[in-house]
Amino acid sequence: MRVKDSFNSALDSLHHGRMRSALTMLGIVIGIASVIILMSIGQSAQDYILGQVQGIGSNLIFIIPGGTENGRFQSPAQSQGILITSLVQNDVDALSREPSIDAVVPLVGGQADAIYGDNDLTVTYQGTTANFFPVRNFTVANGQPFTATDVAAYNHVVVIGSDLATTLFGANINPVGKDIRLKNTTFRVVGVLAPKGTGPGGVNQDDLAIVPITVAQSQMLGINYFNYIFASANPAYDISFVKSRIQSVLEQNHGITNSNKDDFTIETQQDILSLLGNITSVLTLFLAAIASISLVVGGIGIMNIMLVSVIERTREIGLRKAVGATDRDILQQFLIESVMLTFLGGIIGIAIGAVVVTLAWLVLSHVIATGWTFAFPLSAVLIAVFVSAGCGILFGIYPARQAAKKSPIEALRYE
Amino acid sequence: MIDVKDLKKDYFDEDNVTSALRGVSFSIEQGDFVSIIGPSGSGKSTLLQILSFLDRPTGGRYAFFGKSIDDMSDQELAHVRNKDMGFVFQSFNLLSRLSVYENVEIPLLYAEGVSVADRKKLVEDAVHSVDLDEKLRSEAGRLSGGQKQRVAIARALVNKPNVIFADEPTGNLDSKSGAQVMGILDDLNKKGHTIILVTHETYTAEFADRIIRIRDGSIENDEPVHKPRRSKDEFFK
Repeated sequence: MRVKDSFNSALDSLHHGRMRSALTMLGIVIGIASVIILMSIGQSAQDYILGQVQGIGSNLIFIIPGGTENGRFQSPAQSQGILITSLVQNDVDALSREPSIDAVVPLVGGQADAIYGDNDLTVTYQGTTANFFPVRNFTVANGQPFTATDVAAYNHVVVIGSDLATTLFGANINPVGKDIRLKNTTFRVVGVLAPKGTGPGGVNQDDLAIVPITVAQSQMLGINYFNYIFASANPAYDISFVKSRIQSVLEQNHGITNSNKDDFTIETQQDILSLLGNITSVLTLFLAAIASISLVVGGIGIMNIMLVSVIERTREIGLRKAVGATDRDILQQFLIESVMLTFLGGIIGIAIGAVVVTLAWLVLSHVIATGWTFAFPLSAVLIAVFVSAGCGILFGIYPARQAAKKSPIEALRYE
Repeated sequence: MIDVKDLKKDYFDEDNVTSALRGVSFSIEQGDFVSIIGPSGSGKSTLLQILSFLDRPTGGRYAFFGKSIDDMSDQELAHVRNKDMGFVFQSFNLLSRLSVYENVEIPLLYAEGVSVADRKKLVEDAVHSVDLDEKLRSEAGRLSGGQKQRVAIARALVNKPNVIFADEPTGNLDSKSGAQVMGILDDLNKKGHTIILVTHETYTAEFADRIIRIRDGSIENDEPVHKPRRSKDEFFK
């Protein structure tokens, strides 16, 4: 029997039992749609997270106070409530002399209420140097960033995020030149940042208040150490070389001879991207694996219905065999029927998945997270198509073999 | 064409052995119209199933066009059934959801080397020969019993077989429809098709040229019908 004839015969059979075919397909439709949705949203989430990390600058190296445990990654000491004061101005000066580094940016920070008139907002403030803006890719959309002179002169100037500007000043007042209160200190707004969205660690970068580090250290926090140091690698040098140079300089500065006892941790953007990429990929696969359980359930449903169909059509099988169908012809016919059922289910599942992913993208990108990208990975579609067809073969082969094995005379006698 | 020698068929059920055929021998030539008659349980249907390659004997020899059934694989048997044999069953065995055209087409789906265009012509010719042209696209399930059996005959002859096996073809029909069916089988025989008819009615059996009477798995009598063959008009008498 030609494959085309088997195809037509299968189509006719599925059409004849439309309602049953639709209900049978439902399991596969839900399974494939779930896999597509989770893989697509997982991919979007991965793109979003990695995009946020990439947004902080490709040559950026983070120096965090506190060591790692035998080189294994651990969260920064301060996030665990441990105060480590190992990074100081002497380190910044030493790193600034290193030719493989273009710029060194120390950073301190904390939480404070920002007040203008009757408006106030609890914000994260960061004290840093003028290099912060180019190194961290922060663009000032209105006004100017503060300068090295402002830092050296302990000037009370601040650059604020776009959301903070809107909250404090509304839409009609230009914040530049106005004074705000921040931790009981008056600062003059010199610039407003362009919108940047949520940064690494979930910090809303549009709510930031950035002040000269000298003012933050001496007048707001009363400390002489740094929470972080950012180093911008000289593009002429390999990033891993720069990382090793920073390690050497800081170990020398801190009098450390055993690298396992470093009181600082160095992370490159690549390290973070790789780690986050691995975590999000594993999470996406994990979610897809959970979703695929419904595919197995759907497949068993197909097998069940196909077995019922074989029993119901016993006399038809007998007739077809009587007039010349071989075992292979019958196997082919029933297998094509189950593959068509699952393939069609797969296509419908992909379509439903696409609609849901598009809706999720519209909601997330416009309501929750600006910068959420639309992802509908081809790999997810291909996996869905092959998995659905594979389910048809896997779960259709047993019923099809049962049909093919029937003796023509016993099948014709079946009541 | 058909040579049967000492043909046996035993059915095994746990410790019991039931002999449906106890060694039957006969020959049938191409163009014959043979009736196999016997009471219920005599073994006539078992004999028809073996002759039509739907089942295998447990003893004796059966050669079809000189080739023994024992030397043929299941696939070869299927091929011969498709190419050289046609089947008419008492219960029609039509696929009710399919049209007349699609039902008649079924044997051609398994035939080798028949183009789609040839297939269409063969189906239309077969349906025309049973005078059901106007029902070509009708759903088989909506036809009367007589029309269904005529469709089954069209399906049996669509592949231009050498032999048509008819198992109680009038058993589920009224006398008028039965007469039509027997008339069609008679016409087909006149056109050269070998007809092997199984029935328990002597009257229907006498449409043939020869009657093989079978009882308890053995041939009781095998003789030609001496009187003139019945015509379909006599079916009503």
